[in-house]
Amino acid sequence: MDSQISIDDLNKIEAGIRQKYSEVARSPEGQFQYPTGRKGLKTLNYDKALIAKLPDAVASSYCGVGNPFSLGKINEGEKVLDIGCGAGVDTILAAMMVGPNGLAVGVDIVPEMIARAESNLKMTGMENVSFQTTSGENLPFADDIFDVVISNGVINLIVDKEAALAEIRRVLKPGGRLMMADQIAVASVQKDIQGRVASWFQ
Amino acid sequence: MDFLAMLQKVGFVDAQMIAETGFNSTPKTRGMLFRAAKVASIVAEKNKARGDLLSKYQEFFEETYAQGELDRKTKHLIALGASLAAGCEA
Repeated sequence: MDSQISIDDLNKIEAGIRQKYSEVARSPEGQFQYPTGRKGLKTLNYDKALIAKLPDAVASSYCGVGNPFSLGKINEGEKVLDIGCGAGVDTILAAMMVGPNGLAVGVDIVPEMIARAESNLKMTGMENVSFQTTSGENLPFADDIFDVVISNGVINLIVDKEAALAEIRRVLKPGGRLMMADQIAVASVQKDIQGRVASWFQ
Repeated sequence: MDFLAMLQKVGFVDAQMIAETGFNSTPKTRGMLFRAAKVASIVAEKNKARGDLLSKYQEFFEETYAQGELDRKTKHLIALGASLAAGCEA
């Protein structure tokens, strides 16, 4: 995080992100520079059998930047936490992988996203999933309870990334795995704050 | 600070950047896959640290008593004399 960004600016960035994602909650179409929905899932090589089980309305809300499940196997019976779950597509897929003896929990800071995730969940009829509106910097869970934490294109949007990563480690069981996809800067980022707020999440 | 450094700083082990995803949000960012783990058990970690320390001591010991200007036996006798003079009887 560049130190020349003030708290006030960070608050503006966070407000901008909340605004953007409350719109994405309705539909991600046209909001991103990469494929979203079922096309995104296919391009990223998600498990064909699993994405076939997703109702179209659920699949269409997908806007991830990578496939966290390509990083390792999720086993039956495990507990999975999805940080910044958005509309909950990855959370629901994780719940299919862990099966009825496992559990998948999705958290997101944007209430509209959690509402969309809840309505997506209803369409699947699955019972081993729950969603909560909460900040990634302060997770409402005890230490050492999740086998796996997944995250998809979210940590880069969090203002205090280090706090969020420390929280992830805290709630993971010893031996637990973090599998995440995210955006990393490859060129110098916008220095002026107007440009920064505008391009932070494009 | 980048993600890998941050993951290590907060205590993750085996932090790795695996591959690009091809999904880039802006021309200046790249989609990337990361993996990291929480150490399996604190006891195992401590034992490993203890093992490392023991082998370091072993190295120091071997180095100290290695054949040099004085031979190994002479060095041991000097150490014995010094420890008796210091009142060590164990």
